[in-house]
Order: sequence, then C-alpha cells, then structure tokens
Amino acid sequence: MLRYRETGELHKDFHGSTSLALDFVAERHGEDALTEILHNVGTKVYASIHQKLLKDDPSELIEHLAYFYNREEADFDLEVTDQEITLRVRQCPAIAHIRKVGLPLSKCFCRSTTEINAAMCEGTPWATETKILAEGQCVQRFYRKEKKA
Amino acid sequence: MIPSDHFVRFYNEVFKYLEAHGGLEDYFLAISEQQEFHCLEGFKTKGLQGVYDYYVKIRREENCGLDMVMEPGCLQLIMTNCPSLSKAMDNDAGLCLRYCDHCPGWVLPVYTKAGLYIIYDLMGYDQPQCHSWILDNLEQAKQKLQEVQKTRPTAKLLKNF
Repeated sequence: MLRYRETGELHKDFHGSTSLALDFVAERHGEDALTEILHNVGTKVYASIHQKLLKDDPSELIEHLAYFYNREEADFDLEVTDQEITLRVRQCPAIAHIRKVGLPLSKCFCRSTTEINAAMCEGTPWATETKILAEGQCVQRFYRKEKKA
Repeated sequence: MIPSDHFVRFYNEVFKYLEAHGGLEDYFLAISEQQEFHCLEGFKTKGLQGVYDYYVKIRREENCGLDMVMEPGCLQLIMTNCPSLSKAMDNDAGLCLRYCDHCPGWVLPVYTKAGLYIIYDLMGYDQPQCHSWILDNLEQAKQKLQEVQKTRPTAKLLKNF
C-alpha cells in the first residue's frame, strides 16, 4: 500500500522546478549538499518504502514505480521477479516536459533518480543501479544482494 | 524521477537544508526568476486578468481549494486548501517551518516587475490557507491595505509597496 497516492490533475511544471532546485543547491553548496538532500528524500520522505525494504519487502517500491510512472504517462516497462525489479524508461516524462516547455535541464537531473533509489535501498537486502542510455532513457534495476533461498 | 506529485516534499527538504546552511532567501529569488518564465508576460500584458488566468490553470493542475474574486481594480485569491502546504505536512520527513515563505518569496518580486501591488496574509505556517489582494493601482492598494489592517488587526501582512 502506498504511503502517498495522489489523484487528480498533475502540475508537470514542477519538473522544471526540480531542475532549478538541483542546480541551485549544487552550484551554491556543492555536490555533497545535493547528496544529503536526496538521501533525506529517499530515507525520510520515502520512509515507508525504505522501512519495508529493510524488512525485505519491496511491495511498496514496486507499487510506487508502477503508479507514478503510469500517472505521469511515461513510456516504460516494469518487470518484476522474485530477485529483481527492472524499470525500463523509454521516455522520461519529467525530461520530456522540461524540453517541451523550454526550461533548462539540470546536468544533475538524473541524480534525483539514482540517489533517491540508492537511499531507499541503503542498509537493506536490496541494491540498485541505473544505466542512463540516452537523454530521457534509462534502465533502473533493484535487485537482491543475495539470492533468496 | 521525482513524481510531480512529490515535488513539494523534495522542495521542503531543500528549504530545510538552505535554512540550516544559508541561501534560502536567494533561492526564493531564483524561484521567482524561473516563475517569470511561466507568468510574467501574462501579468504585464493582461494585468489582473493575466493573474486570474494563471491561477485558473494552477487551481486545476495543483488541485487547489482556491476562490477568486475579481472586482474592478482588485483580484482576491482566497486559498482555502493549499495543496502544497498540505502535502508538505502530510509527509513522513516533517515540515520545514518556513515552508510558506517561498510563496510570497517568489510572487512579490514578480508582481513588482509586472507593475501590480499585492497584500499578502499568510494566515499561519501550519494552516494550508492564505489570502491575497492584488491591485493595479498604487493609491487603491494603499487604501485596501488600510481596510485589511482594520479587519485583520493581528495579521502579519506582507506587501510589495
């Protein structure tokens, strides 16, 4: 069950606001500041997902990915096995919106994915890695560090 | 990707960091500059009608409880349920106590650049409500300020004039 499950309309201009925030923090306070903030998002804002992963329960993470990538009308596939969760994003809706309206895209933008994913998995039986294939295209993997018997 | 639904909870963490380490006021100005991209031209060219049109879009996209009252020379924005603060409060990471400051922090400079005058009553940092009056004439704005001060003597009103 999702801790946050918004409904109704979307305000996609917030993706441009995310881009600005990432650049502002990185330029004014450095890369470590950005890491600290994104770590707090992954472990405190998404405490429910993080706590479940600590108990080896990826159910909310899976639901979160499916719900919000669907809600943003992303072009994606989500594949789930007992050992691995793979999210293939063919067009990131956030980057697509930023490009559509013509706002600057932060060079740190994808860190909001990779570092929040890493924070959610920190200290849990799960690990994560993301391959950026091209702008707006990536493969996000979450996998058990040790195979379940 | 941070879902657009969850941006404000990320924003809230950015505010906490900048409040602790410095730069929060500068960040509000950076937000204001970005917001110019979305609304300044409409505010400048259409005046109060441009503000009204912008908030019709915001009300729909952000799912706001927002009443708008347009009268000659004055637009009232009455936020009865702010989705931004509501989400920041409905948040396992906890609320930045200066969360609400970002809103006047960005809108006041934009209204100034647009040649409009605003009186802003935040009403409380833990209440997802606020009330603002936007006017297109300085003398009328001063008069409205006196009226609002009489009816809300304890309110800490913000203004750009």
